Amino acid sequence: MSHLWLVVALALYSLGLLHAVLTVVGRREKVFRIALSAISLGAVFHLVSLIEDGLSLQHFPITTLQEAASLAAFLLATAFLFVYWRYRFHSISVFVFPLVFILTMTSVLNGDTVPQEIPLLRTAWLYIHVSLIVLGYTAFFLTFIAGIMYLIQERELKSKKPRSFYHRMPPLESIDDLAYRSLAIGFPFITLGIMSGAVWASSVWGPSWPLDPKIALSFITWLIYLFLLCARWSAGWRGRKAAYFAILGFAAILVTWGTNTGLHSFVSR
Amino acid sequence: MNFCLVGLSHKTAPVEVREQLAIAEEMLPDALRQATSLPDIAETYILSTCNRVEILALAERDDGGIGPRLGEFLAELKHRSYAELQPYLYEYRQKDAIRHLFRVASSLDSMIIGETQILGQVKAAYNVARTAGTLGGILDEVLCRSFSVAKRVRTETAIATSAVSVSYAAVELAKKIFGSLDGKHILLIGAGKMSELAAKHLLHSGAAGIMVTNRTASRAEEMAASLQGRAIPFDRFLDYAAQCDILISSTAAQEFIISKSQAQRLLADRKNRPIFLVDIAVPRNISPEVNKLDNLFLYDIDDLEGVVQSNLKERTREAQLGEQITDAEVEKLMRRLKTLDVVPTIVDLQAHFEKIRQDEITRLESEFRKMSASQREAVEAMTKHMINKMLHSPVTELKTLAQHPDGLKLVETVRRIFNLKS
Repeated sequence: MSHLWLVVALALYSLGLLHAVLTVVGRREKVFRIALSAISLGAVFHLVSLIEDGLSLQHFPITTLQEAASLAAFLLATAFLFVYWRYRFHSISVFVFPLVFILTMTSVLNGDTVPQEIPLLRTAWLYIHVSLIVLGYTAFFLTFIAGIMYLIQERELKSKKPRSFYHRMPPLESIDDLAYRSLAIGFPFITLGIMSGAVWASSVWGPSWPLDPKIALSFITWLIYLFLLCARWSAGWRGRKAAYFAILGFAAILVTWGTNTGLHSFVSR
Repeated sequence: MNFCLVGLSHKTAPVEVREQLAIAEEMLPDALRQATSLPDIAETYILSTCNRVEILALAERDDGGIGPRLGEFLAELKHRSYAELQPYLYEYRQKDAIRHLFRVASSLDSMIIGETQILGQVKAAYNVARTAGTLGGILDEVLCRSFSVAKRVRTETAIATSAVSVSYAAVELAKKIFGSLDGKHILLIGAGKMSELAAKHLLHSGAAGIMVTNRTASRAEEMAASLQGRAIPFDRFLDYAAQCDILISSTAAQEFIISKSQAQRLLADRKNRPIFLVDIAVPRNISPEVNKLDNLFLYDIDDLEGVVQSNLKERTREAQLGEQITDAEVEKLMRRLKTLDVVPTIVDLQAHFEKIRQDEITRLESEFRKMSASQREAVEAMTKHMINKMLHSPVTELKTLAQHPDGLKLVETVRRIFNLKS
């Protein structure tokens, strides 16, 4: 499998990352244009690489961790472009681009490992489950970043001694709006992802599934986000409290993901 | 080509001295013409604002006497003695004079760095000098370049982006909280120049509407009319406050008119939508305790002053980048001026024709082999004559047109059509 386009995308992403950092350090509009073009072009090459992988594998490239990382990176880059188009946030790039870069890099470095073949699990549910979860995680990552940005900007405004951050961060209400929208988009994906996992497991093992800590943890994560969404809807939660919860939720995602590094415990058996 | 700039500004002279030297606009054309008639001086430009009086001159030759001569001229214009003014005057020559002009136009030398008025003043002074006929091609080029440098500094640095007055600081903060002010409502409590100004700026920036209240109902009606808002009763203003996103308070009340519990109720009524409270009153109208509440941002007059101070510091930081831009632009302009000087262009033009003449004579000689001395002399004389006649008009035109504002463009054209390498 050739990784040429993925490597090109990675090079463009690193260029974008560098210029995003320079933009925020120096606040130069011109520099940001380079970052923006690099990321857009990188995403295009990344898409080409994904399609190429899919054609050569004869299936949607999401069966290994590397492929999932690559897809997540592509989704994040696209999500960034969408957020930029919608809100004109510059500073969010310094939070999103590093992850895009790291995910793509992992995928380039480990791209040649032979995927573990577990014929038992290779059903259509595999693609549905993993894709939905990756989509949900991407949206929740934005919620998490919006939470961090909100806390930084809120502190600047409350301290009344605006430092350099104050000039670099977007307005509070827009950040909160992004947090809410990304949460509202991510939640259905995660819910459907978990449900598809349950259906998948039932179709393989019937009513008695193998015990897996990941399933328990992901359920807790889901409850955190459910609570946050309800609190925003009905109790008028917003701003700082919601930001803290978005960060907590993402921490739970990391723990869930970190358990057995990505895969479920029964996959390695 | 010698540049010399002499003048004084808020940095070197107190206002008592500046006002003595200031030149009224109607006096400027005469002053410019007088200055241009001084010995050795070819072109002049004078800038006179409340913060500075400066004269920039282009001299044919400079033995170091141009600076004092310009200083004396400024003093005599206002019937002062040069000795009395000398300690306040600065003098820049050549590159430094151009750099100073660029820094002034870009507002890097202003009292408030990044203020936008100065560029307009420089442009107005340029127009006066152009109309008075004291600008030749070179100063015209230099001044026009200063406008584009100023524009570059403004767009590529942040020297003019942050608010440096209390009322604008309030608008800037509102934008940092709400993003766009579209659809946001303001409540103005009490009267006051600064609070009214802040309200006006907010409305200009897109705020949807304003409610006004005052202990004196008629005063509230009056202000509501002038701001195209709605007057509400003072004793019930808290009932209306929940509909407003920005509250500006400046009453003469001696005790707090909004307490922490009242603010809490306000937030609950607003379902925690953020609210921005501006307390311009002294003594303060709003309990400072309320700032501890989430989704509520309270700024009193000192906080706003603090924002202004920190923005000024930010502008000073950005100005360093502006200095780099002006330095680079000075170098660029100096290089360009060197190639566009008239005298070397005439020399190049003559050399160009002379070379053609020589080449043709050599060719002629090789064709006819034998040419007698008298024949050769005749050919030499004839060709020289031809070239002199052909070049006579272009050279005189170049010399005279170079004194005109558009002269440099002509020089550039001549260089291009004859393909003269610099």
